[in-house]
Amino acid sequence: MIRRVLPVLKPYRAMVFIMVLMGLFSSLADSAFPLFNRYALDHFVAGGTLKGIGLFAALYVGVLLMQVAANYISMSYVGQIEVTVNRDLRNMLFRHLQSLSFSYFNQNSVGYIHARVMSDTGKIGSLLSWRMMDVVWNASYLIFILVVMFRINARLALWILLLLPAAILAGFYFQRKLVAVNRQVRESNSRIVGNINEGVTGVRSIKTLVIEDRISRDFEEETGNYQRMAVKAGHYSALFTSGLTFASAAALALVLWQGGSLTEKGWMQIGTLSVFMSYALGMIEPIQYLVHTVSAAIEVKVNIERVTKLLETAPDVADPPEVVERYGDMLHPKRENWEELKGEVEFQDVSFHYPDGEELVLEHFNLKVPQGTNVAIVGETGAGKTTLVNLVCRFFEPTQGRVLIDGRDARERSQLWLHSNIGYVLQTPHLFSGTVRENLLYGNPEASEEEIAWAVGLVAAGEVIERLGGLDAQVGEGGDMLSTGEKQLLSFARAILADPRILILDEATSSIDTVTEAKIRDAIRTVIRGRTSFIIAHRLSTIIQADVILVIRDGKIIERGTHDELMELGGYYHDLYTSQAFPE
Amino acid sequence: MMNLFLLGSRRYYVLSMIFILLSSLLDLVNPRLIGYTVDTALGRGTGRVALLVLFVALFAALFRYLFQLTNAVGTERFVKRLRDLLFSHLIRLPYAWHRSSHTGDIIQRCTSDVETVKVFLSEQLTSLFRIIVMMSLSIFFMSKIHAGLTLIAIGFIPLIVLFSMYFHGKIGKAFMKAEEEEARFSAVVQENLTGVRVVRAFGREIDENERFEKKNYLYTRMWIRVLRLGAAFWTSNDFLAAGRTMVVSILGAVLCVRGELSAGSFLAFVAYNAMLDWPVRMLGRIISEMSKAGVSVGRICAIMNAEEEDKPETPLCPPMDREICFDHVSFSYEDAAEEVLHDICLRVPEGSTVGILGGTGSGKSTLMMLLDKLYGLSGREGMSVKGRITIGGVDLKDIDTGYLRRNIGMVLQEPYLFSRTLSENIGITQETLDMGEVKRAARIASLEESVDRFYQGYDTFVGERGVTLSGGQKQRTAIAQMLIRRPPVMIFDDSLSAVDAATDAAIRKALSENIGGSTVFLIAHRVQTLMHADQIIVMDRGRILEKGTHRELMERDGIYRVTYEMQNGLEPKEAGA
Ligand SMILES: Nc1ncnc2c1ncn2[C@@H]1O[C@H](COP(=O)(O)OP(=O)(O)OP(=O)(O)O)[C@@H](O)[C@H]1O
Ligand SMILES: Nc1ncnc2c1ncn2[C@@H]1O[C@H](COP(=O)(O)OP(=O)(O)OP(=O)(O)O)[C@@H](O)[C@H]1O
Ligand SMILES: [Mg+2]
Ligand SMILES: [Mg+2]
Repeated sequence: MIRRVLPVLKPYRAMVFIMVLMGLFSSLADSAFPLFNRYALDHFVAGGTLKGIGLFAALYVGVLLMQVAANYISMSYVGQIEVTVNRDLRNMLFRHLQSLSFSYFNQNSVGYIHARVMSDTGKIGSLLSWRMMDVVWNASYLIFILVVMFRINARLALWILLLLPAAILAGFYFQRKLVAVNRQVRESNSRIVGNINEGVTGVRSIKTLVIEDRISRDFEEETGNYQRMAVKAGHYSALFTSGLTFASAAALALVLWQGGSLTEKGWMQIGTLSVFMSYALGMIEPIQYLVHTVSAAIEVKVNIERVTKLLETAPDVADPPEVVERYGDMLHPKRENWEELKGEVEFQDVSFHYPDGEELVLEHFNLKVPQGTNVAIVGETGAGKTTLVNLVCRFFEPTQGRVLIDGRDARERSQLWLHSNIGYVLQTPHLFSGTVRENLLYGNPEASEEEIAWAVGLVAAGEVIERLGGLDAQVGEGGDMLSTGEKQLLSFARAILADPRILILDEATSSIDTVTEAKIRDAIRTVIRGRTSFIIAHRLSTIIQADVILVIRDGKIIERGTHDELMELGGYYHDLYTSQAFPE
Repeated sequence: MMNLFLLGSRRYYVLSMIFILLSSLLDLVNPRLIGYTVDTALGRGTGRVALLVLFVALFAALFRYLFQLTNAVGTERFVKRLRDLLFSHLIRLPYAWHRSSHTGDIIQRCTSDVETVKVFLSEQLTSLFRIIVMMSLSIFFMSKIHAGLTLIAIGFIPLIVLFSMYFHGKIGKAFMKAEEEEARFSAVVQENLTGVRVVRAFGREIDENERFEKKNYLYTRMWIRVLRLGAAFWTSNDFLAAGRTMVVSILGAVLCVRGELSAGSFLAFVAYNAMLDWPVRMLGRIISEMSKAGVSVGRICAIMNAEEEDKPETPLCPPMDREICFDHVSFSYEDAAEEVLHDICLRVPEGSTVGILGGTGSGKSTLMMLLDKLYGLSGREGMSVKGRITIGGVDLKDIDTGYLRRNIGMVLQEPYLFSRTLSENIGITQETLDMGEVKRAARIASLEESVDRFYQGYDTFVGERGVTLSGGQKQRTAIAQMLIRRPPVMIFDDSLSAVDAATDAAIRKALSENIGGSTVFLIAHRVQTLMHADQIIVMDRGRILEKGTHRELMERDGIYRVTYEMQNGLEPKEAGA
């Protein structure tokens, strides 16, 4: 499992090497310190002489200083590896996210994806740095002291060694349980984070519906759940650590019992006894750490799984290799190979259902839109209008049939090529926090001041922008400081500024008053001249002028023609229009 | 503030302190036993001493277990309480507060800052206590063995404390910067994810990626700074601690040689000194870590200290099916220099319907939010509110906010749906889900037909913010959500904009048939939606320009008539013909 994320360490091989080396040295020094004490005991205390104590002290200090240096180097490297690995992982994930399609974002909540990018990566980074360092340090320390013990007194060392497997086995037993509980703890935690996210983003609905109590109650239920699990985990981990401390005392008792008699018989010096005692006590901590690290690594498995799962999620809409070869991918487009998009769109026998729904939204849909045509789409809510234009944009791909752009299957060209040529005003307007200007320039950062002024003038947003305090006024998170209509106006201007070949207006003016709408209707007409455009509207006054009006019902076109033709036909459109226009 | 959170977990902490005291005491017995063994018992039954060691250790382990358990219980209780209080406070904070804060930042405070405080309490606070216990006990025992040497052994401690204090400040500052950077970074990610559809639609992935990576690098740099400081501090702290051990061993050896200390006492002294080693090291670390916890506590308290929504002193619950009256209401948002609403006067008799038509950004939504007290009327939230709103003569200010909102059903202009099933969404205000009620509300909102077409019907899972529904379905779900309570006052803020004219008419018809007697505010841009209202007002730039019935307004040469004519495909100038 860990092997799958190891490649991220590749650029830092040299650092890892030095880190390991320094760690080894440091643990070597640590395992050597009891030997210094032994020397002091056997040589000075037992010998009753102070000869050579100066040199001894100097050596001691020397090793100490060297260890400090090694520690500093390894620690700063570990830290550096941790954060840079985190950073690289985050970059990788984010880059991959950029290639995923709408359906992924429909199925996974913002909070969920956010946690993948921001917190799972952190867990992996610390596994590859601190945990790895822990393993290196503790394992080598354990090995060093075992070697030293065997060299000093093999018999006593063997006695101690007998304790080891028992301690380790018991450790793993508890850790296994701990891992299982911890998994539940984490799951509960991510639900809690999800709840917080919903509480914050949906706060206005919570208030207007007065469901604070209920939402709090749900939240408290979940935190209660969490508390129970976490206490259980605490119980296991307490058993584990206290068990191991007991084991260390057992080792000490063993040394006293066996070593005591050895010393008494004069086979062992007091200094040696003290060394053994320090080792017996000092051995347990590394074991504890090692077992703990192993189980932490097991826990990180979940994070690694999630991250690799995200990295391996193939986008539902993907460009085949030969297309990427020719046109480049999302982040490395080969613009020089891009053909000009003319704007002819054709649906050939397209059927479609959403990945998470089974009901067909479009059924055997056929439509040919010549370049530069202005298509209006009307129909009941839920008829599939938005779906239709999403297919034009290739945000989804038909489950059957194909969509042609300029006579070629859309799949033969890259998505970025298509998207760069599209201006889309979404049904739910969304602005980014920042200034009005930044938002307007979003689709075309190179637009000049004149162009901005032109676009603003076209959508009659000049007055609105002035009221907001000019182009440099902040719009707030998600455009929160604007009214819905104002957001629509600005997203409209943004789409126009992108100078697209295909313009899509999905109820772009649904929240705009009729007077303003009338002002921009002429603007729309000028803008769409020469461009292919799809306009979805419920207020029919906006679409009377369209070259062709499609009436969609249950994913099929039931009527098509110009306004006059459809009025003459006297069908659904006629009824819709008359009921709307002359209500009395 | 912390006291409030600690309620209910304090006794567990007291218990855990007692257990840690006991286990530390026992831990300190063993070195004494060793010294005794070496000096006197060596040769005579070390086995018995070993047994004793084992026996003592058993109890030490037991106490340690109990300590950890009580500590875990105390901590988890604390965390639960902290989270619950924080969350319930958070959703009760004024809407204005939420508007001016960043989602990513709030979430970070509720998650990773809570985590930091938790680690501090569960690991560092108890460690601190244990450190103090261990320190005083080992110092006590050491001083019994050799006073002079003890003085030297503890002489280092003030040095280490001073040294850590110095780093405490530095690390705290660096950590604070890193946290702030993290909040900004996290906000960038949050924004990208919520706006992902726009990013795709404009093919702006490259720039978004660049923006992300830039923030990512900046954030990483901040953390490297914290970690470097940490590494420098830890290693030098460890060096001081190890130096202390060394000095003590060497001096002890010298004393031994001089005959001022027995070998056994020396061993015991060294063992105690080794016990002092851990507390001394940890003391420094905890002091430096404490700075992080301090930062996090500050960030959490910033939320906790924000004031909740206005509460009237003696909240009234008057009947709500009364005349609603706006009396010279003016309003402006904090940042806006200009007033969003000017001197609004409006009387809405009980059970009547008001249609509101008006320009984009003319203040319709704002007016309705005032009626629902989404913006406090006291002006305490930084906005300026003038005039008053009354219901049946009772000032809105004096009405209990919860009661008011329960009785005013408001469908927001941009509805938010919860990631639950369709029926759970519609019935979210109900204590128990009554499918009959859910279906009734769905029927009035003309949602039934759509639901029937879903394979899973009412059990269809509604994605986050309703992304898997069409625009009109989402709006109607929100309407049904409001209707299920049958409130005496209803507000539809542009709630029929995403449905076709026929559905619009059907909904209005169903409404008037099923919901008699409610006072209704209906904001719409379609004249057809409004024309049957008892009273129609036309708003422009925060003022009411026209007021009257459809017939009256049609006689006037104003915005209303112009709008009507435009929507009917007539050129305005022909209107008179
Ligand atoms: N992401 C999705 N996953 C599953 N089903 C979806 C998704 N988006 C839309 N649908 C369903 O597909 C159908 C068509 O939706 P679409 O958004 O195309 O309707 P629409 O014609 O644009 O309606 P409206 O006028 O209300 O916006 C609806 O029944 C809707 O519930
Ligand atoms: N949080 C805010 N801070 C500052 N200004 C705001 C804020 N919210 C809205 N405004 C401004 O207040 C004015 C009125 O907004 P409001 O949402 O009431 O308009 P509206 O009449 O509902 O418009 P629409 O028809 O577009 O929904 C707008 O100019 C808007 O920019
Ligand atoms: Mg739609
Ligand atoms: Mg509004």
